[in-house]
Amino acid sequence: MASGRRVLITGVGSHWGAELARRLERDPGISYLAGIDTARPHAELGRTDFIEADLRSPVVSRILPGTEVDTVVHCGILWYPEPGKPASALHEINVIGTLQLLAACERTPTLERIVVRGSAAIYGCEGAAPAFFTEPLARRLPLRTRFQRDISELEDYFENFARRHPEIVCCMLRFQPEIGPDLDTPLVRYLSLPVVPTQLGFDPRLQLLHADDATGAIEAAVRRPVRGAVNVAPDGAISLSRLLRIVRRPGLPIPHPLFGPALSRLGRELGAGALYGDAVRLLRFGRGVDNARLREEVGYDARFDAAGAIRDFAGKAGGRRVGPRLHPASVIDRIVGARG
Amino acid sequence: MAAARGTTFPGPEAVADFLRGVRVGVDSGLDPLAAAQRAAVELPANMRDGIDIVARRLRGEYDEDEWGFDEELAEAVFPLFDFLYTVWWRVEAAGVRNVPSHGRALLVANHAGSIFPFDASMMTMAVMKEHPLPRWPRFMVLDWAFTLPFLSAFMRRVGGVPAGRDNASRLLAQDQMLMVFPEGVKGTGKPFSQRYRLQRFGRGGFVEVALRTGSPIVPVAVVGSEEIYPKLGESRVLARATGAPFVPVTPTFPWLGALGLIPLPSRWRIEFCEPIDVSEHAPEAADDRRVVFDLSEQVRETIQAKLYESLVERGSAFL
Repeated sequence: MASGRRVLITGVGSHWGAELARRLERDPGISYLAGIDTARPHAELGRTDFIEADLRSPVVSRILPGTEVDTVVHCGILWYPEPGKPASALHEINVIGTLQLLAACERTPTLERIVVRGSAAIYGCEGAAPAFFTEPLARRLPLRTRFQRDISELEDYFENFARRHPEIVCCMLRFQPEIGPDLDTPLVRYLSLPVVPTQLGFDPRLQLLHADDATGAIEAAVRRPVRGAVNVAPDGAISLSRLLRIVRRPGLPIPHPLFGPALSRLGRELGAGALYGDAVRLLRFGRGVDNARLREEVGYDARFDAAGAIRDFAGKAGGRRVGPRLHPASVIDRIVGARG
Repeated sequence: MAAARGTTFPGPEAVADFLRGVRVGVDSGLDPLAAAQRAAVELPANMRDGIDIVARRLRGEYDEDEWGFDEELAEAVFPLFDFLYTVWWRVEAAGVRNVPSHGRALLVANHAGSIFPFDASMMTMAVMKEHPLPRWPRFMVLDWAFTLPFLSAFMRRVGGVPAGRDNASRLLAQDQMLMVFPEGVKGTGKPFSQRYRLQRFGRGGFVEVALRTGSPIVPVAVVGSEEIYPKLGESRVLARATGAPFVPVTPTFPWLGALGLIPLPSRWRIEFCEPIDVSEHAPEAADDRRVVFDLSEQVRETIQAKLYESLVERGSAFL
C-alpha cells in the first residue's frame, strides 16, 4: 500500500456519491480518486478525476482498466426514478448499469475490492417478518415489488462475480432508507408534508439512517470491506406515530386500501413515481434490520440511533414547514372570548 | 366550586385562566404544548400531571424499545386488563415464584381463545400483580394477526412480537422473558369438545431456541381460557373471505356480531410449573432431534398433567 489506494466511484453525480468522494478526498491513504457519472456532481469536488460516461454503455469496459483502480465503489444504484422519468429507467440503470460495471471489472486486473451501495429493500416488508432481518434472511420472503426483484437480481450478479473471483472482496451494503435535512428524497419530502398521510390502524417500525451515518458507513466499508452482505441501519427502531410526533407533523390516517392510490398521486408530486409500491409496504409493515455485522466486522458505529436520527432531522428541518399553521392563540381567544 | 369526588376538577374560571395562560405563553413565543405546561401551574396537581404526560407524549418524548414495546402505554391499559383479571375471569395464579425474576426465560403455555391472546395478557397480569419482582413479559403472536390493522399496532405496543425463531432468539438473547404457545393456531382453533387436550407442539422450535440461548423453560397451564370462546364449528366461507386461518362459530359468534366477540366470563386458574433447566445440554444440542423431541414432550406432558390437576382444582367453569 506504499503508493496508496486507487478508488473509483460510480454514480458520483448523486448526493451520496459526491459526499463519499468529498470524504475520501481528505484521506491521504488514497492516491487516486475517480468518479463516473453522466452528470457532474452539484457539489464542488477537489482532486476527484471526473469521468463523464454512462454506466449502461460498454464504454465503461474501455475506461475502467485504464484507471488501474483497486477499489470500485458502486453508488450508481437508484432507489427511485428521477423526477419525470419512468420506472423502467430505474431498472435500466440498476440492472444494466451493474452488468456493464461488472463486465468492466472482469477486465481490470488491478481490482481488489468492490463496495456496493445496495438496499435493504431486498428483505421486503411483511407484517409477520422477523423484527430484525439478519443478512442470511434475504430472499426468504417473496419478492413482491419490481424494485425488490431488481435489487435481488443485481445482488445475484455480484454474488456470481464474487464466486468467480475469490481474490476480490465484494461487499454488498444493504442500506435502510436515509433521512437528513439536506436530502431531497421522496421519503424526506413525504415527512415534510404539512399533513402526513398514514395507513389507518398501522404503525410501522422504521429505521431511517441519518445521512451522516450513511456516508460514514460506506466510507468505513471502503476502508475495511468484508465479504458478502452487510446491513446498514441505525440501532433500534422507531414507530411512525412517534416519528411524526417528533417531527411535529400531524398524521392523516387513510384506510389502507386507499393509501396506495393516494400516495401514488402524491408520489408523482414527490418524485417517487412508481416506487410507491415499496413505500406503501414500508409504511404499512415497516422493516427492521440487524446491524451487528456493520458494528462488529466493518467496525462502524452509527452516530445516531433510530430516534436520534429523527430528532436531529426535526431540529434542523424545522423551517421546512409548508402550509398554514393552526394558530392556537386565535382558537383560545374564541373559546375564552365566548365565555365573556 | 371544585367537584370533590376523589379527583378535583377545576371550575370554569380556572379553565378560562388556564387558557389565557396558554395564550400568553404562545404570544411570548412558546410552542402550544410548552405554553400549556407552564399555564397548568394553577391547576390541581392531577390535571397538571395529566397535561405534562399528554404534552410529553405528543412531543414523542417517550420510550419505545426496538420491538415497539411502549411501557407507558402498557401501564395505561393495565386497569382494563386488571378488570378482566380480577372481576371478569377471577384469575387464580399459582406458582408465580417459579418465574425467574431476572434473566432470560421461556414461558410455554397451552393456547386457546381468539386472535387476541387473552391467555398471554392474563399470564402477564399474573406476573405483574403477583410476582415479588414484576417485569413485563413479551409474547409471541400468530403471524396472521400481525397483518391486521389496529390489532397489530396495539399488540406490538404491549409487548407482542410475530412468532418466529429469529424474533424469539433475539428477545431471549436480550435477557427478556418470553411467552410462547407452541400449539399455535391448532390450539386456538380446537373445538370446544377438545378443550384442554394439548395439540401437537409444532416442530419443537421453542426447544431449539431455548437450547441455543440457554434459557430455562417454565411450563404454564392456563385453565379457563379454553371456555371463553366455545368453538362449535367453523366457517370455511368466512375464513376464505377474510384470509383468516379459521373463523370459529360459537354460541354467540357470528350470530350477535361484534357482541359475540365478548369472551365468556369463565373462572381461570394459571399455574406456573417448576422451570426446566436446559443448561445441561450444549447449545449444539438444538440440532439433536432426540434431545429436542424429548424436551418438547417433557414440557407438553408437564402442562397436560397440570391442566387436568388444575381443572379439578378450579371446579365449575363459570361459577
